[in-house]
Amino acid sequence: MGDYPDPDEEYELMYADELEMLKEDEDLAETNIIIKKPLPAKRSLDFSSPIAKKPVPSTDLNHIQSTNTITTSIATESTDISLTPNLVPLEEFTPVSSKRTADELFGDIGDIDFNEIELPSKRQKTEEENDMDLIEKILEGRRLKQSLLEPSSRMLGNRSGYKAKDNLSLNIPRWAFIPLTNKDGDRVYVKLESEESWETSLDTGAEKMSLRASYSSTWAEARKILEDKQQKLISEEAASQPLPDMDADINNNMLLVDKYRPTSYLDLLSEEPVNRALLHWLHLWDKIVFKKEVKTKEPQQRTTFSKKAGQFQLTNKWKGKKEEEPEMDEDGRPHHKVALLCGPPGVGKTTLAHLLARIAGYRPVELNASDERSTEAFRNALQSATLMRSVIDAEKRPNCLILDEIDGAPLPTVELLVRWCTATATEGKKKAKQQPLKRPVIAICNDLYATSLRPLRPVALIVQVGGVSISRLSSRLALVCQREGLTVSGHVTAALAARVQGDVRAAIQVLSFIKARASRQLSMEDVENTAIGTKDCNKSIMQALQTIFTTNDKEPEAVLKTIQAAGEYDKLVDGIFENYLTARVDGRLVIAVETLAWLQLYDVISSWTQRHQNYSLYGALPLCLARCHAVLASRTPQRMKFPWQAQENYRKKVELESIVSSVLRGSSPSVCSSRAALQLDVLPLLPYLLAPQLRTANVQLCSESERKALRTCAGAMCDYGLQYVQQRTPDGLYAFVLEPPVYRVAFYGTEEKVRPPPALRQAIAREQQLEIIRRSEEMANRVPARSSTSGTQPTKSTSEKDKPSTSKEKDVPLPNHLQRLQPKVVKRNTPQVHKDFFGRIVPLSQVQRNDPVADVISSSSVFYHYQEGFNNAVRRNVRVRDLL
Amino acid sequence: MSLWVDKHRPRDLMKLDFHTDQAVRLKSLVQQSDFPHLLVYGPSGAGKKTRIMCLLRELYGSGVERLRQETMTFTTPSNKKVEIMTVSSNYHIEVNPTDVGIHDRVVIMDLVKTVAQTHQIDSSGQREFKVVILNEVDDLTKDAQHALRRTMEKYVATCRLILIANSISRVIPAIRSRCLTIRVPAPTETEIASVLKLVCKKEGLSIPPELAMRLAKAADRNLRRALLMCEACKVQQYPFTVDQKIPEPDWQLFIRETAALILSEQTPKKLGEVRQKLYELIIHGVPPDMIFGGLLKELVRNCDMSMKCQVASHAATYEHRMRLGNKAIFHIEAFVAKFMAIYKKFVEESMGDAF
Repeated sequence: MGDYPDPDEEYELMYADELEMLKEDEDLAETNIIIKKPLPAKRSLDFSSPIAKKPVPSTDLNHIQSTNTITTSIATESTDISLTPNLVPLEEFTPVSSKRTADELFGDIGDIDFNEIELPSKRQKTEEENDMDLIEKILEGRRLKQSLLEPSSRMLGNRSGYKAKDNLSLNIPRWAFIPLTNKDGDRVYVKLESEESWETSLDTGAEKMSLRASYSSTWAEARKILEDKQQKLISEEAASQPLPDMDADINNNMLLVDKYRPTSYLDLLSEEPVNRALLHWLHLWDKIVFKKEVKTKEPQQRTTFSKKAGQFQLTNKWKGKKEEEPEMDEDGRPHHKVALLCGPPGVGKTTLAHLLARIAGYRPVELNASDERSTEAFRNALQSATLMRSVIDAEKRPNCLILDEIDGAPLPTVELLVRWCTATATEGKKKAKQQPLKRPVIAICNDLYATSLRPLRPVALIVQVGGVSISRLSSRLALVCQREGLTVSGHVTAALAARVQGDVRAAIQVLSFIKARASRQLSMEDVENTAIGTKDCNKSIMQALQTIFTTNDKEPEAVLKTIQAAGEYDKLVDGIFENYLTARVDGRLVIAVETLAWLQLYDVISSWTQRHQNYSLYGALPLCLARCHAVLASRTPQRMKFPWQAQENYRKKVELESIVSSVLRGSSPSVCSSRAALQLDVLPLLPYLLAPQLRTANVQLCSESERKALRTCAGAMCDYGLQYVQQRTPDGLYAFVLEPPVYRVAFYGTEEKVRPPPALRQAIAREQQLEIIRRSEEMANRVPARSSTSGTQPTKSTSEKDKPSTSKEKDVPLPNHLQRLQPKVVKRNTPQVHKDFFGRIVPLSQVQRNDPVADVISSSSVFYHYQEGFNNAVRRNVRVRDLL
Repeated sequence: MSLWVDKHRPRDLMKLDFHTDQAVRLKSLVQQSDFPHLLVYGPSGAGKKTRIMCLLRELYGSGVERLRQETMTFTTPSNKKVEIMTVSSNYHIEVNPTDVGIHDRVVIMDLVKTVAQTHQIDSSGQREFKVVILNEVDDLTKDAQHALRRTMEKYVATCRLILIANSISRVIPAIRSRCLTIRVPAPTETEIASVLKLVCKKEGLSIPPELAMRLAKAADRNLRRALLMCEACKVQQYPFTVDQKIPEPDWQLFIRETAALILSEQTPKKLGEVRQKLYELIIHGVPPDMIFGGLLKELVRNCDMSMKCQVASHAATYEHRMRLGNKAIFHIEAFVAKFMAIYKKFVEESMGDAF
């Protein structure tokens, strides 16, 4: 503080607010009763430990509530200050409570600050400080005097007047405040009162509540009286008949969750059809496990079951099949060897499985995520559970394996399980290598669509356990409360049940938490204030989409929260994009334009974010989506489509791109052009070029021009690495198919537009093979030609050894018709060379070995190709003269 | 026997059919047996690659025509292997770095270095440098372009770069200033027609000048497309007639169909149908800017004069946004929706005036 250059200025700065307050104070002091609540009292409460607060009688509960409201009742006192309504609605107490804590903190710090500031400055400027002290003293004296004089008005003054002096400021104060503006446009800062001071003020003035008291405090008063009455009633009841509670000493150590776990079928909270379905499935095992006939055909039960099962098995694929397929296979085991229970956490899946297994006469053996689940361990567990039987268990019950939390298991484990079940179905009888599965297996998961469960889903009986309905849960909670000696009203349990969203475990844990705080009564605010009941809001994309597309009058901000909870904005954007067209009636396409503008903005921001790896704008992405809600939301319910188009199209695009790149790879380097040119110019026109107009006749009978066209076509195919490949069609015929399939790249849907007829395809394929041969021959010719031009020495020196090469060298300048004569010369020479060794026509084979096909083609105009195989036709000799 | 496009490609600078004065200049450029880095740009089908190959032939002789295809493998800093296809002769290597997407920087750095760091063993009678041809430079990432800057200067003694681009607006100025830029404009329609006639004459065919002109018009000043279309015409019906059907690339027809669909009805339902068509186009690898261009061309044809400017400016805006973003379909559909809205409003207003 001493750093300020000018002491006067510093003084001004430091005490400006005090001075102004003083000035104001002088004015107010004339008209109003100002009572300063003694500070020490407030302080003592400030530093009281939470334990000290504990013995506050339960009647004070409502005080806590009432203190939540900020007392801004200055309005009553100073006439010219316009205020926010001093009645703060009860519902708002969550935000207010946070303010309150801030207030507690800052109120104290402000005071401390003030003192600290004063201390060092005293040394430097004693005069000003003396003045200040004097003023303080005078004020204090006046305050005391007034409080002595008029004790009756103390309460009112306390609530209204006492703050005006040190709780109002025209400058920005150091303590926590609320800014207010009066009608002249001046800004006034009002100090926030801390909870403790308000509480004490309430205590002192409760009996003097008058009409000037705020609505909230009166309301609190009323509630207090009501709850008092209830409390009294309960205590009387408790006194008259001590609770038939189970031996509390033992049970105190148990969690409520375990204590109130359902022990009979009737206790189950899950939906009746779900219970029935699982139990029925377990009973199907009776034949194989207990050797007793199962009554599957009991008509009445069957109908009711299937009717009810229809409700929850709608999503199941096999639902339609269910009527036709027998529930039992030939071994007398159920059709589905595994039951897969799925549902959100805490709805009682594990409990259900255990209880039903016990009811059906099994001994549940659980294997969950905490156990090792490598394939080996899993196999052991499976074997021991399904093939063995416990010797310790007195009742000798068969095992029922319960695989908890199977969605976390690794894929090989699940595959093993599936193999275990299916292998017994098929190979079990034949090989007897593996014992068929003879015990029921219940798998439990949260996420039915986890990737590791994919193999299990088709073979399992899928039972979806939904969240428990609010009414059932609240009635159960009420029961638990009653047993535990907690007093609770109906709407509180209902609120708790709604808050936990069907999660029984969470609800009961909240109860036990509240019970641990040793209050015998559960009030609404306990439920509201407790943080443990709230679940992670993890929304699925479809939920988020639904939220975006439906109007929400109650909580307009909820959309943004839902979007943020869902995450995966990219998927969400695709979802909006695919669904927005049907969202609302949009004759002039105004909505479409607006929506797309937001989607565009989203796209631009997200790609900017990704490109620069700068996530500062990432927070704006959900806002873009939330804006779409404002445009698209409607009241008519509609079915959202899952966004698959983008992915599907991407897949197709990749597929076609791979065709293009295979063409690019296969095409010869001389024609290799850029990818874009290939895709846009060459490939779309290539099919036209590959479909020459030929008469359907033997190729040999074609005219010169037709043959030329065929050759061009074959040449082009060679250049671009295309080939006709014979493929077997599903109906058993062989067809020539172009490989890579460029037609798909070139055409949009109408692939067959210019596809040549099969006969032509065959002709082209044949011609292309010739073309390939011709080209390879050309290459072979070119290599020696180059060697002859580059180095002339070998040709000169080797006169006899390199005869083939020299002959070819000669060939190059010769016209075509002379070329045919050349081999004869070689033939004549070679026998001379090789006569010594064999004396046979070795050179012919040698020539053929060098270039077997090419030479035949180049040397004669007739050639044949031997197709392997045989026919059963009758063979007979035919003479030429018979034909003539 | 291959396609006309490949068969009748000029192999000598002096035999080029158009831009002959430029060819003369190129020839004189390599007369001194050396040349700076080149940046050749121009629209597709204008003959950039043909000119470069002619230039190389002028420089190295016919050896550059003996091409081979190789696949090279590079390792990215993140240890990912990327494969890229190169076409090379003894004297040059050609590569299309955009094939590997965002890893193009690695390809450019490694490839140019390996080429540049190997000197010619026998420099007598050879040039002292090799040539690296980089395709589609304008689609390179900024990273890759910056990687190119230093390399270009450092290895100038042993290696020359020839960069090919469609437009230099997306090539960074640093590279532009390091190269001699050569613009190869698209041939005019008459030039294309004359080339078509020449090729037909070489093939021993006669083509009516009207048909040649029609082909040139349909090909959109793209010589490659014109030649392919001409040959396709020949395959379909040889003795050419003036008014014979010209086969066109299917995607052009498809864009036209889409535009007709847009004009036929302006409802959200129709927009949904248009979206499927747009998806088809994108799947088939038609670049989104070409879709924009094609649609705009077709749509504007059916617009009132006052609307034309409006529509064009909207198209520009939306295309710009598309460049900034990633999901082309959003932007194209946004443009279609906007056009539909404008068009519908206009039609309704004019109908209102009529009554």
